[in-house]
Amino acid sequence: MVFGALGNARAATPATVIRLRADHIEFYYDRDLVEADGHVKVTASNGMTITGDAFSMDLKLNRFLIASHVHLRSRGGNLDGAAIADFLDFNRIYFVPVISKPDRWTYENNDFTHPLKGRQMPGDVFYFPDLSTSHVSLSAKSAVIQAKQYVRFADVRAKFFGQDVPLPSYYVYFGSSQDLEENSLSGASFDATWNATGNANSISALHVRYDEFNRDYLGFEQHFAGNQQHEYAVFSVSPFTKDDRYWNLVTGERVGSKFEINTFTQLYTDQHFLAEPNASAQTTFVTMTQAFHRSSLQVFGFQENYNLIGPSEPYSPNHPTEFTATATSYNNKVFKTPLYLQTYEGIGANHDSYGLQDYGGVLYRTIWNQDVGFTLSLPNVEIGDRNKHYDLYYLNAAVNSQRQWYSVPHHVNSQNSTISLSRQFSRFVNSYLSFNEQNTSDLYLQGGYVSSAPLLPDGTPFTPFEAFHGAASLRTTTLGTTYSASPNLVTTIALTHHQDFPPAFPGLYPQPPTNAIGQYISTNYLGQPPWQLFGEVRARIAPHLVVDLQRGYFFHYGAQVWSPSFVVQISE
Amino acid sequence: MNLQSRLAAILCAFILVAAAAPVTITGQLLAYQDGYVFFTTGDGFRLAPNVVILDEQTKQPAKHAPEPRDYARAVFNAAGEVVEIDLSNKPYPVLPLPEAAQAFAVMASTPYPNPELAPHAPTTANGVPETFTGKLVLVKFEVQVPPTTPINAQVYIATDVSGWNPQAIEMDRIDALHFVAVRRMASGTILHYLYTRGTLQTEEVGPNGLSLKPRELIVYDTDTNSTNSVVDAWADANTNNLLSQPSVFPTPYNPAPFPNLPRGTRTPDP
Repeated sequence: MVFGALGNARAATPATVIRLRADHIEFYYDRDLVEADGHVKVTASNGMTITGDAFSMDLKLNRFLIASHVHLRSRGGNLDGAAIADFLDFNRIYFVPVISKPDRWTYENNDFTHPLKGRQMPGDVFYFPDLSTSHVSLSAKSAVIQAKQYVRFADVRAKFFGQDVPLPSYYVYFGSSQDLEENSLSGASFDATWNATGNANSISALHVRYDEFNRDYLGFEQHFAGNQQHEYAVFSVSPFTKDDRYWNLVTGERVGSKFEINTFTQLYTDQHFLAEPNASAQTTFVTMTQAFHRSSLQVFGFQENYNLIGPSEPYSPNHPTEFTATATSYNNKVFKTPLYLQTYEGIGANHDSYGLQDYGGVLYRTIWNQDVGFTLSLPNVEIGDRNKHYDLYYLNAAVNSQRQWYSVPHHVNSQNSTISLSRQFSRFVNSYLSFNEQNTSDLYLQGGYVSSAPLLPDGTPFTPFEAFHGAASLRTTTLGTTYSASPNLVTTIALTHHQDFPPAFPGLYPQPPTNAIGQYISTNYLGQPPWQLFGEVRARIAPHLVVDLQRGYFFHYGAQVWSPSFVVQISE
Repeated sequence: MNLQSRLAAILCAFILVAAAAPVTITGQLLAYQDGYVFFTTGDGFRLAPNVVILDEQTKQPAKHAPEPRDYARAVFNAAGEVVEIDLSNKPYPVLPLPEAAQAFAVMASTPYPNPELAPHAPTTANGVPETFTGKLVLVKFEVQVPPTTPINAQVYIATDVSGWNPQAIEMDRIDALHFVAVRRMASGTILHYLYTRGTLQTEEVGPNGLSLKPRELIVYDTDTNSTNSVVDAWADANTNNLLSQPSVFPTPYNPAPFPNLPRGTRTPDP
């Protein structure tokens, strides 16, 4: 039996808060279950107090059960019984009182004074979950549970790689809103998070992290979120135990249904604990988005101070600022063709009082720009017999073209084209062949890039570079295969060939900028090894633990043979 | 004695034995108190004064009194009282009460139907019953990314189950515009999720650039579930933005189209 007529009648009542105490409380993280045994006492925010021998709550189904030697104290008086179940979503409490003999009562809408005696109950109302294949994530002595939001345990012993770790408290958010769990920390190979405490509007978390650059370190994160999913803020500091430290603040605010503003501010300090920093820099991004009918306008602002504390050497004194305003259409279908078209246009400006570009003897401190572009795409073209899924080929293609003019007399043309052919050979094997070409030309009205031959590490000039006059062409061909033996074991391998102009040469080009976990941010950087082979094996070794092994082979490009080391990524 | 007579004799013997067999039920215990034993069906049965509690495996007296969560078999006498309870270490199937035992359940009030309970489980649009037994179901996520997605991009799924970790589920590229991931999930799971490129700044947004409410997936009791999604845009898709993203160690700034020209390359000049 399931709820029928009541399905549309869920009452909008304040979120119930349940305070639970017991001799032994267990939490099953993978199933969102809280189980308790021995001297169970539950106090609910509707004024009801229940004691019993066993407690079971499914946090996602939002219902709980107390069984054996139940004593209910409510506005209806004091009653003894065998079991009671509260279906919080439906405002229905099912009770098996034992007065002269057992009975079945239903309380509607927290009305304890008028039980519906003898009314049929849902068939599974008093079922305990089968825990035979589940593992305990933590045990505790007490818990505070807010329906559909969070559970906060006290006197905790958490399971960590099979070991019991005593903790004063542990907080778990299981609501569906993302605001309270917005992440302000960049990725790490390993992150064990201790949500120390929190409530429906805040979380305080300590992170034990590891990444290739910083090695092991601690980070702290403080989350805030409003009740109506209108605003959030996250503050973090990481690595807290290293001298090079980033202090982040992320905020978001939604005003009405068509406007939102998001900010990201990062303060960098080089300091020992909380001593006066040796160096400090700050970056702020602000993005405002206004939605219109099948289009949007996004205003983006950026400000950065490379040196907040001086001295000017060796740190750069620059403090550049940027703003852009871009109007973008939806990705619209082109009449009845299989093509889709998205267009955009925008204006912007860059400013740095120390100067951005010296051209013709003029130091440009402010550079204005305007741009226009479009993206034309052709997704999901099936080639072959549609009745034979494993014989079908899929063609996908996309072209992006853009021109950007600057107040310095030049403009940049960019074209980015991608085409791929893919096929699912069996339930386990999928392959694709893709080709990508990125053409970028920086064209000056007068002069421009001068032919030159940069010096190689051994001091000889690299003459093929002399043909470069501000136009680069990067061509990438990739053959990739994924073998998915099961959802718990996936192997991928990709062979990539770069045929670029200006041509690559080991050690000639500086490393392009990367993010905190070493991933390249730009896709159009020069000097990529002509041949690359990447392999990855991803295995789920526990219900919430995935180990990801990655390694690359560069076919003896300069000193590069294998990628520096295995990348081991552990995630939930 | 011919074959027909033999069969008749066997049938009679079976009926006599069956008539003598006591009524039993199995299930999980809810409570054992006040002279009654309660099963998780919610039914309470009166205990006989001389009820015995046995270990189902050894048939010896059990070492502890019946407790909630114990699996047990109850044996009734002709008066409908429980005369024997066998406690089991192994789970018994939790089934609706057999008809023979229904009359033995004690209830003070007269039962009456509940109009809020639908007689049959609703079905999905394609006729699959919306039932949830908790069995593990293969769930396939396939997503089409915007055509402006960088060719070297990695795509992930952030979910409410993993605390919105932006790299919770890594997806595998299957062509220029599509990624796929397969997971096993218990039926009944209600998953909220969003696609990301690995960070908060590269999360998916709506076609109008505004942040999205999480997508929702309900895992039904089918052999496989699959979901095909289209990402309209990424949060960092500021198309004329030549800047690097947050979390980057500050680098000298200039709106140049080539981020890593060789050292010593002459800058443009008239």
